[in-house]
Amino acid sequence: MSNYWNEEIECMSYEDMRKLQSERLVAQVKHVYENVPYYKNLMDEKGVTPDDIQSVDDLHKLPFLTKADLRDAYPYGLLAKPLSECVRIQSTSGTTGKRVVAFYTQNDIELWENCCARAIVAVGGTKEDVCQVCYGYGLFTGGPGLNGGSHKVGCLTLPMSSGNTERQIQFMTDLGSTILCCTPSYAAYIGETLHEMGYTTDDIKLKAGIFGAEPWTEEMRHEIEKSLGIKAYDIYGLTETSGPGVAFECSEQTGMHINEDNFIPEIINPDTGEVLPDGEVGELVFTSITKEAFPLLRYRTRDLCVLSRKKCSCGRTLIKMSKPMGRSDDMMIIRGVNVFPSQIETVLIEQGYTPNYLIEVDRVNNTDTIDVNVEMNPEQLSDKVKDMQQQERALAEAMKTMLGINPKVHLVPPKSITRSEGKAVRVIDRRKLHD
Amino acid sequence: MTNVRQISVFVDNKPNQLAEVMQLLKNSGINLRALSLADTKDFGILRIIANDTDKAVKTLKENSYAVTVTEILAISIPDSPGQLSRVLDILGAEGVNLEYLYAFTGTSDRSVSFVIRVDDNAHAADSLTKGGIIQLTENDIAEM
Repeated sequence: MSNYWNEEIECMSYEDMRKLQSERLVAQVKHVYENVPYYKNLMDEKGVTPDDIQSVDDLHKLPFLTKADLRDAYPYGLLAKPLSECVRIQSTSGTTGKRVVAFYTQNDIELWENCCARAIVAVGGTKEDVCQVCYGYGLFTGGPGLNGGSHKVGCLTLPMSSGNTERQIQFMTDLGSTILCCTPSYAAYIGETLHEMGYTTDDIKLKAGIFGAEPWTEEMRHEIEKSLGIKAYDIYGLTETSGPGVAFECSEQTGMHINEDNFIPEIINPDTGEVLPDGEVGELVFTSITKEAFPLLRYRTRDLCVLSRKKCSCGRTLIKMSKPMGRSDDMMIIRGVNVFPSQIETVLIEQGYTPNYLIEVDRVNNTDTIDVNVEMNPEQLSDKVKDMQQQERALAEAMKTMLGINPKVHLVPPKSITRSEGKAVRVIDRRKLHD
Repeated sequence: MTNVRQISVFVDNKPNQLAEVMQLLKNSGINLRALSLADTKDFGILRIIANDTDKAVKTLKENSYAVTVTEILAISIPDSPGQLSRVLDILGAEGVNLEYLYAFTGTSDRSVSFVIRVDDNAHAADSLTKGGIIQLTENDIAEM
């Protein structure tokens, strides 16, 4: 039984892949130039014409697109096909005030669902599997993407959407779900609830999970794998390029294979825009070479990661990206130091706490303050106040070592921090109120 | 062994937190014999002696509270000047380290009771017995 959804593409030689990418890129640039006045203007300003793009080697000549461009061009400014050929939109939550609406032709949906199918097959999915999709359905790409991929593979698909966790577990135990798709924070919560309801991993048949849409750490992977008795795999994507399935993890669990027959990745220096060689950390940039309705060229994702062409034991030759090390949206600059919530999460798990925390950033007398609320470990409750204060100090000390700044740690009761059924809210930054 | 079990509950330092705990215990028909609250600016540790320790712990845990049970000593001394001082002198002379203590009322208006938390229960209990101090059992307290 094949471990691949599309072996020809997934195991294609580097030379053949470059050739395929080049052909598609040349056609895509022409398509965009002729149909998207917004991007044509950007190219004209830079003095680049479609004739200048003859292969992937010329990619760097094209101008970047940013989230600000998407906002400026909202809603139809980057549409490259007549509306009569579009069949769907998906959208980001717009919580940061920058809603993105992406359009799909029938063919775009096909390509997207095939990308998700590759991800499901890579974790061992076949038509014998029962795939429980608890990403949100609707405008959010998570539910529809994995749902479509699961159909393609032929799994029995449970379109649960997120929420109603006890019902999720009931379906999981009654129907014998074997693959779980949701955000990692929701997977952790499902695991927690499963055990609270008195079940063990013997009561479920899950073998694998495909978790994405938010950053998570290796420590969290181990926690989820233990709690649900599964292998936990990462999946990457963004609404701007299609949704989940831009890149997916294989059995090796050491980074995600990018579906580079559809999306050409580049790593750039976020300050200068200069393209960096494989192996260097920088901002991930994608060029969609197969999308018809919403084909973004050189879109800056703001995710910081590393690309690698190191041979993978799974046999795929698709380039791999590391787990994003941070996202500028999440990155906090506190007293001039870059701080990522994932660093705090790592400390918590190392010290025996659950990854349930809330970071509050504020500015007092022109100095940034960072307060971390952490759910205390009930196993470590002492009747002596000094013992509990010692636990707070030890955590603050470990965070200081990790972050280079001194946070205030506050222990709060177990389960007092709101659990997330979608993307977890980890940071409240009140400094913006003062600006 | 005369040790008495004390329940400690982690509570948030926010309005209504103590009321919630009391409501739960009330609904389970638990009667409190002694209580003290130690608080910091983040959290409080509520320490209680209940008439039914097991039931109180079960109720609190079922409602997701962090709970721990510690063995403490309980004593009853005459309600007259200098009595507590005598107790502390006995413990001090024996080198027993006192973590905290709190008073509670029993049924007699001529005596007063104390919860004593020390680092070495056995040593403290021996010292108090030798010094003629009456120690209470968990049963004594439950029946108060």
